[in-house]
Amino acid sequence: MSIAATITKDNKSFLARNQSWMIQSAAIIAPFIVFGIFLTFYKVNPIELYWSMVQTTFGNLYGLGEVLLKATPFILTGLAAALPAKAGLVNVGGEGQLAIGALFATWFAVFYLDTMPAMIGIPIMLLAGACGGAVWAGLVAVLKVKGKLNETITSVLLNYVAVFIVGFFVHGMLKDPNSFNWPFSPEIANTLRLPIINGTRLHVGFIVAIVLAIIVWFVLTKTRLGFKIRVLGSNRLAAERAGFQINKMYFWVLIAAGALAGIAGMIEIAGIEGRLRASVGTNFGYLGFLAAMMAWNHPIRLMASAFLLGMISVAGNKLEIFSGLPSSSVNILMALVLFFILGSGKLVKK
Amino acid sequence: MIADILTGAIRSGTSVMIASQGELISERAGVINLGTEGSMLCGALGGFAVTVWTGNPWIGTLAGGVCGLLISLIHAFLVLSCGANQLATGLTIMFFGMGITAFFGKNFVSQQIVGFNPVPIPYLSDIPFIGKILFNHDPLTYLSLLLVPLLWYVIFRTRLGVILRAAGEREEVLFASGINPKLVRYLAVLAGGFLAGIGGAQLSVAYTHSWVENMVAGRGVVAVALVIFASWKPLKAMIGAYLFGAAQALQLTVQQQGLAISPYFLFMVPYVLTLVALLIVERRKQSQTPEALGKVLAGSG
Repeated sequence: MSIAATITKDNKSFLARNQSWMIQSAAIIAPFIVFGIFLTFYKVNPIELYWSMVQTTFGNLYGLGEVLLKATPFILTGLAAALPAKAGLVNVGGEGQLAIGALFATWFAVFYLDTMPAMIGIPIMLLAGACGGAVWAGLVAVLKVKGKLNETITSVLLNYVAVFIVGFFVHGMLKDPNSFNWPFSPEIANTLRLPIINGTRLHVGFIVAIVLAIIVWFVLTKTRLGFKIRVLGSNRLAAERAGFQINKMYFWVLIAAGALAGIAGMIEIAGIEGRLRASVGTNFGYLGFLAAMMAWNHPIRLMASAFLLGMISVAGNKLEIFSGLPSSSVNILMALVLFFILGSGKLVKK
Repeated sequence: MIADILTGAIRSGTSVMIASQGELISERAGVINLGTEGSMLCGALGGFAVTVWTGNPWIGTLAGGVCGLLISLIHAFLVLSCGANQLATGLTIMFFGMGITAFFGKNFVSQQIVGFNPVPIPYLSDIPFIGKILFNHDPLTYLSLLLVPLLWYVIFRTRLGVILRAAGEREEVLFASGINPKLVRYLAVLAGGFLAGIGGAQLSVAYTHSWVENMVAGRGVVAVALVIFASWKPLKAMIGAYLFGAAQALQLTVQQQGLAISPYFLFMVPYVLTLVALLIVERRKQSQTPEALGKVLAGSG
């Protein structure tokens, strides 16, 4: 390529970069305006809501902690979508992988780890969660590699199966004998609860999520393996010609993704819930998927989009308290954000 | 007991069946729509709400169809006009459907309606065994049974069907004959959304007579899976949907018989069955995938 051509190309990409930055910002702001209009129909002042959202987040340590607490599972389930996406896979199974991870983690905590010191018990519990998620993603992987089934559809179907499996255990083998027949597991030992940062409810699971996001980013961008994954994702044919073992890569990428979502399940149990319920992590998998889409599957940007979703989730609780609108209304806002981002995708790529 | 299960197969399979016929139209034109789940949810709530207001389940069902259509319009716009990823957009619509129906449905949770009830067809319903299974259903189910041969005829025997299939296979051919393939795809997605909405409405207005948050519970996803299982053929999609319905009916029957099987295992059966069915037919399917859709399923859409 001649030097002149190189320069024009660089200029173009510089312009494209700026333009795409503007379009992306607009795509984030527009849904807030649309949702604001929606709120005014329900006699809620959107500016007040958005302002209180910002205030809660940055006003004091406790509020910031709440937002980071909400963002933690989104980072991990987001990674579970972003990593396979880099290899050209659409994993929507974060929901089920999280649930099975939580189940494995609780199982180990209740039956084997209750007398263990934290230093041993917590890592084993974490490992159990990762294994649970990996097993569940492994099903998707086997169906993909051996059965040639599209991973999107199988992973969504398996989400429903996972929820019923958790239901089966909390109504059966894992049911708390002292619960007066309520469907949940016994509480896990205090030593297994994640340490909490003073003045907040925020636990160290947050740091685990950040570290894992950085590891995934590092592997994807700085290593040979990551390069191969990206080649596979952007051009499967080229990967085939280069002699990659594509099925093997698909398999292990999905396993890794499942492990990440499984860790999110373990963190929900050890960090917040303390016991397994049938409703553990409802919608966290889908929200993580959305967070990954918002970040264009970039692990570092994913942390930002998970943070934004965390803010919106906390705002949802506020919305319910102050205006009586159900907290699920914010799911509408989240979907709107996604619609705008998906719709602007073509403009950005140009 | 067998008659009960077969009757139940049709009763609880109908919503999935209608939605899968809709998805089939959309996929024949080359657009996969996982938002079917969202369209069904909106159809279930819209159908229920309008039935509450008007007291007329026919108007309610129609409104449910319109709700499903409107949601699928978002999918059509994002995919066809903005070039967004079909799978991601569909999933977002699924999520959007959950959010928006949870929001608007809150006040409808404990309401009662006079919906569709089974209408036995005179004489035919008196036939032993078969009469009970086939001729004692709500009016929507009878209509949905007519839908399948109608769709088969339109898709495989009319010019309209040729145009639809061409949109999913070779859009250049459509261009050459002066037809806008994008328009065909738009209409196919909207038709799919409309039928998904009707399917959702069948669930709330005819089958359960109630609205519960997230009551579609993955039936939309199953509908999408069934279309693949059915190799894009209406009759096979119907069989698949009734198989799913049978698995659900089995679950109820087993519970009534008081057998010592955990209900949670039975809840799983329809979803696992769908996966197994997909696995079994996978090998014969590849060559029949509409070409435009094949690109999406391989992950480059």
